Amino acid sequence: MVAIAIEQLTYAYSAAQTPIFDHATGTFPANQFTLLTGPSGTGKSTLLELMAGLMALAPEQGTIRYGHQPLTAIPAGERAKSVAMMFQNPNQQFAMDTVENELLFALENQQVAPDQMMARLTAALDFVGIRQLQHRILTQLSGGEKQKVALAVIVAMDSDVILLDEPFASVDPVARASLLKRLVTLRDQRHKTIILADHDLAGYAPLVDHVMQITPAHQLRALPRTDWPQFFAAFEAAHQPDWQRPALGVETVFNFQQLQLQQGRHVLLQPTDLQLPRHRNLLITGANGCGKSTLFEALVRLSDYAGTISYRGTDIQKIKRKRYAHHVALLFQDAETQFLNITVAEELAQSQKYASGDYFTPERIQTALSQLNLAGRDDRVIYTLSEGQKKKLQILLMLIIQSPVLLMDEPLKGLDLKSIHALVALLQTTLAVTHQTLIIISHQLTGLTPLIDHHLHFENHQLHYVGRGRHES
Amino acid sequence: MNPSMKLALLFVVALEISFTTIVSLNVALIIIALIYLLFKRTRLKTLGWLLLVPLLPAIGLWSTQYINGTGDKTLMAWVLFTRIYAFVFTGATFTLTTNILQLADSLEQNWHLPAKFAYGVLAAYNLIPKIKHEVEIIRAAGRMRGQTLSFWSPQLYFKAILVSINWSQNLAQAMRSHGFVEDAPRTHYRQITLRRRDWAILIGGIVLLQVGVFIIPWY
Repeated sequence: MVAIAIEQLTYAYSAAQTPIFDHATGTFPANQFTLLTGPSGTGKSTLLELMAGLMALAPEQGTIRYGHQPLTAIPAGERAKSVAMMFQNPNQQFAMDTVENELLFALENQQVAPDQMMARLTAALDFVGIRQLQHRILTQLSGGEKQKVALAVIVAMDSDVILLDEPFASVDPVARASLLKRLVTLRDQRHKTIILADHDLAGYAPLVDHVMQITPAHQLRALPRTDWPQFFAAFEAAHQPDWQRPALGVETVFNFQQLQLQQGRHVLLQPTDLQLPRHRNLLITGANGCGKSTLFEALVRLSDYAGTISYRGTDIQKIKRKRYAHHVALLFQDAETQFLNITVAEELAQSQKYASGDYFTPERIQTALSQLNLAGRDDRVIYTLSEGQKKKLQILLMLIIQSPVLLMDEPLKGLDLKSIHALVALLQTTLAVTHQTLIIISHQLTGLTPLIDHHLHFENHQLHYVGRGRHES
Repeated sequence: MNPSMKLALLFVVALEISFTTIVSLNVALIIIALIYLLFKRTRLKTLGWLLLVPLLPAIGLWSTQYINGTGDKTLMAWVLFTRIYAFVFTGATFTLTTNILQLADSLEQNWHLPAKFAYGVLAAYNLIPKIKHEVEIIRAAGRMRGQTLSFWSPQLYFKAILVSINWSQNLAQAMRSHGFVEDAPRTHYRQITLRRRDWAILIGGIVLLQVGVFIIPWY
């Protein structure tokens, strides 16, 4: 096993003016669990991709060494044996159709003898505890299940170094805890080197051996242990506030009658009657794959459902699609889905042109841009922004549109704490004037709680309010 | 039978019946294909659909030829009618009994096509259902921002192409991160063999077809 040394790393995207790394130097010790942190857009993903050899590094840009050997000197065919990577987006890591075929694909690439493959495959699935998924089709798995499969592939490949790029961004707490436990086992029993990038640091303190920060000066800095308590304190789960149930008789925005959701033959939501209040901000929580996103797709008529959904008294199937889209908009989980143009300025202009209200004047947009640390990027091609920047821009675009109802699917995904605070502040000042109804799906509650009025929980194919107060259903 | 050999044989058959006008040959091919499908335990319901779906276009071709055709109208009408069914049933002997994964495996292992190509075809095939839903999502995203993207809107296709490029990059990265290296040697869990028997069926099939076309005096 070998330590990984970063030496004099200097890297910049050609489009960006400032470098991501400026002669950064640091070491990731072998057989240990290192947490890589830094605000969104500082280059965590870039560093991991460079370390995995997925992006090429010219000699003058510095060196990445595995032990004494520069990464570039390891033949491409042997790299997977040295280093494997798990990506942020669970939908982007598979080439094949089923779990079994994906694992076989990886083993074939490593030239494992065919008669040993099945043993290694089942051992890897058993290690992660997902033997029951062996014959499942990958696209039908939930985000958490996909990440478990991704880990099983890495276990089967038996790579020495495991890089994880925000692997829990769309994973529920139960699956996250289970994945973290396996990573610790991989370190302790199989002596793997684990490097994990994340910015929601809750729960990591007792597990990790090192914390490596990417500093604002584009350097790498190992955080001394004495600074840990203060550093991690900011992320410890604030106790969940006790929200009120909506009072009886308040105006409703959505009314579900015997609403039932299915994914294939799998029931997600059993027939449910429920009212969602207007002009309130509603939080929806629930484990991964329980059907939260499917509920949103049903609400914007992107997926089928049984029963009736009424929007302010009218069955949504009876409203013209175009008119309905002006009233109920969805903030997609994947920011790129929302974009229609090429540059930041074009996107902003489009939202302004078709806005339902006039709250967002050009001045207010400029203020919001600087609040979100997005100012001065008007001519940037949106697809070259970092994931965090894309997310913030996406949210701003949908706020400008000012639809009476905005559904937000994991709006905090990929955002660091500073961005979350800026975003929640922007949402609060905007909503105070516009009185929109927000319905938010989020795993991550840190920083979001001040915005929430009521809380719906998705569990055992049921959707119900939690908290004090009386409410039938 | 070896998937790529089967495909090659069917290709020759399709090409040849496109240029012949022998009703009995078409019928014979349909019967052979039907026997093969039954032998492979195809569900009767599926066979029913195979008979039903081409019926309208087949009748359409038959009547067009019968009413407006030149030369031997009746013969040509029945040639076209049976040809449609011959295409559908011989094609079904491939699509209903062979999956795309087996074909990709065979192209890679037997014909030494670059693995990149074989897996590219496979991945594209796996993406088809996703693309359909993605187009719906793009249109919804447009509507929510005040823009109606019709099916002839260039913006819809621009966006769809962007999404595909993105997918292809992600796919390339996914393949690399799972240890795939272009032109590097790989082992194969699913061994697809190319036996003498496969060659015999291919050559025998083509010879029989020529006998059917040129020698047997069909009526």
